[in-house]
Amino acid sequence: MFETSKTVITNSQRGLFNKIKESPVLYFFFSLIMFFSVLMFSFLAFYLQVIDTPLDIKIEDVFFMVFFIFMIKSAVDMYNHFIQPGNLTYSLSTRVSQSKTVFEIFFSIFLMSIFIWFVFSTLFILFLMVFPINIYYPLEYLFFNIGVISAIFIGSSITINFFSEKRYRLIPTIILLGFFLISQKPTFVVLTMPLALLHLIWSIKNSLSSYQNIRRKTRIKEKTQIKIRSNIKATFFKEITILWRDKLFFSFIFTSAITGFGTGYLYLYGDELLIPVALRHIYSQFLPSLFIFVGVLIVVIYTSVFPSLALFLNEEKTMWIIRHTPIDNKTLIIGKTTTLFLCFITTIPFIAFISIFVGLENLIFVTWLLAISYIISACISIPLGVKYVGKKSDIMLLYSVTMVLFVILSPLAFIGSFILENVYYGEFFLSLLLFISIVILYLLLILSEKLLELRYPKPTY
Amino acid sequence: MITIKNLTKTYGKITALDKVNFNFNNSQVFAIMGENGAGKTTLLKICTGILTYDSGEVKIDDYSIDKNSIKAREKIGYLPEMPEMYDRLTGREFLFYIASLRKIINAQEIIDEITTNIGIHSSLDYEIGSYSKGMKQKISITSAIMHNPPNLLLDEPVYGLDPLTSKKIQDFIKKQKGTTIIATHSTKLVEEVADMVYILKKGRVTLFDRVDTLMEKYGSMEETYFHNRKENNV
Repeated sequence: MFETSKTVITNSQRGLFNKIKESPVLYFFFSLIMFFSVLMFSFLAFYLQVIDTPLDIKIEDVFFMVFFIFMIKSAVDMYNHFIQPGNLTYSLSTRVSQSKTVFEIFFSIFLMSIFIWFVFSTLFILFLMVFPINIYYPLEYLFFNIGVISAIFIGSSITINFFSEKRYRLIPTIILLGFFLISQKPTFVVLTMPLALLHLIWSIKNSLSSYQNIRRKTRIKEKTQIKIRSNIKATFFKEITILWRDKLFFSFIFTSAITGFGTGYLYLYGDELLIPVALRHIYSQFLPSLFIFVGVLIVVIYTSVFPSLALFLNEEKTMWIIRHTPIDNKTLIIGKTTTLFLCFITTIPFIAFISIFVGLENLIFVTWLLAISYIISACISIPLGVKYVGKKSDIMLLYSVTMVLFVILSPLAFIGSFILENVYYGEFFLSLLLFISIVILYLLLILSEKLLELRYPKPTY
Repeated sequence: MITIKNLTKTYGKITALDKVNFNFNNSQVFAIMGENGAGKTTLLKICTGILTYDSGEVKIDDYSIDKNSIKAREKIGYLPEMPEMYDRLTGREFLFYIASLRKIINAQEIIDEITTNIGIHSSLDYEIGSYSKGMKQKISITSAIMHNPPNLLLDEPVYGLDPLTSKKIQDFIKKQKGTTIIATHSTKLVEEVADMVYILKKGRVTLFDRVDTLMEKYGSMEETYFHNRKENNV
């Protein structure tokens, strides 16, 4: 009874424990950040309750945010535990009905997601009590619980039907989500939960065609790698081909443009939106700069930290290619790092959009901050990516790098702003800082070369 | 030529290779056999620079795999047991990437010739992610042999291949002028292509002889293998 569920849960649990054993510092940082994030959310709730601001965050907004997060999580989990793994062939070929096996996989995802929800919501409630905020909202909490359950149902059925040959099976889910969007009422989500459950049951019964969905063969027309190049160029072209085919460049450009627009808007109107009139004269001194800083940080995390880590972490199973061919570690690392130049170009929309709001006089500082943040993020991410090559702890690393980046860039942004405003020929000193960061990046690339040398692959014999 | 002296490799408490010595000469095909976990794949991975070792010496054409790694790696071609490649590249792009790293000048003609011969040419412009196991094996074989390496290391070379391609690969191995090392469980393949055979057990060599001598003595490589197991109390 529930053998598949037990196996999935045990496997996930052991995988997590092994990863913690392998990289305890990384997981400590990650846990710290998660703890801090919940604390910040609690403080935000406290702030918005105590301070009267024009920004009106309703409980419905929070409800749908939680709903969306759990829907995405369960969709990803369903992919990782059902669509992708080859070892599922064993349980699917036993005398146990295949629908039951898929249901058990869903059940394990359900249990793990609900566990996460209860841990975080309890922590959040405890923090609210500390601040002290009235937490007696039993009906709302019940709604949130049902919302999370419904999100798990919908997320799971989205994955099952998305990878099916018959994608029209997604239509009921799309209609349901469309109604959620129009109504924007948690009550509607709660009342339609039985419908989400029915659709999930039906999806599970018809789920086998989705298993190990084989990518359709498509002939690739553009040929980027059909000439002999130097090792650095060959590595560069290989990496950009992979990024291009994964459509990551488009997503970088889109994120840069949206962040640029959002940051610019908050730069001009953020204080009016968030700060009460009486306090505005205090906050307006630094709030616009803070928005620019956060905007730059978001763009850098998405277009630099993420690809820098992915360049190395994705080499999990292909390390044999690099290690048996005559390419030295330094050339390999430089070849991969040059890909980041192209990723940097995708941040131009950020500069273009933000310049509309901040004006040309502030553009030098914004561009400098973006460039130096980009280089520093590469300085942190590349050695970490090399150290953890093949370990696939990318989410953990992403969070850890974000935290370190935040700590380093905060004073640096302040120093840059101070130099530009108060020092004669400030632009020269900013350029000097930029140059120093490039030198540091080069030195860290050399250090990374040594790190890659020390990496011994896991034994498989 | 590959020379291995007193090679030891451990994984924690497990000894994968225990002070083993090998002398893989030119113009010969060597087969390495042994039960699962005997150390066959570990040996090949060490010879290609994929794995490090605890003690001993490994030389590829007089270049140490440890100290002159790049020079040594120029002299080898390697086919892993389960070749994983970049799913988002096409077969052609992958082969040109490897050809660039190996600085093969006339790569286009070589790739066309080999891929046509082993029957993968028509699929070269599809992404590797959409390939079957056999197709991946063919691409990997092409990448291993396209620079005409003096030392060829093949881990289960005909695994997942159709009989025709398997035959072509066997013929290719027989024609090789340099050193060829095959790690395999297939006694039939050993009989077909190998000149010499090593049998490993728990990281130690339990048998080393000419294949034709063993065939004369025991009738087949399968019998040789079972006899060796009995002799070593497995």
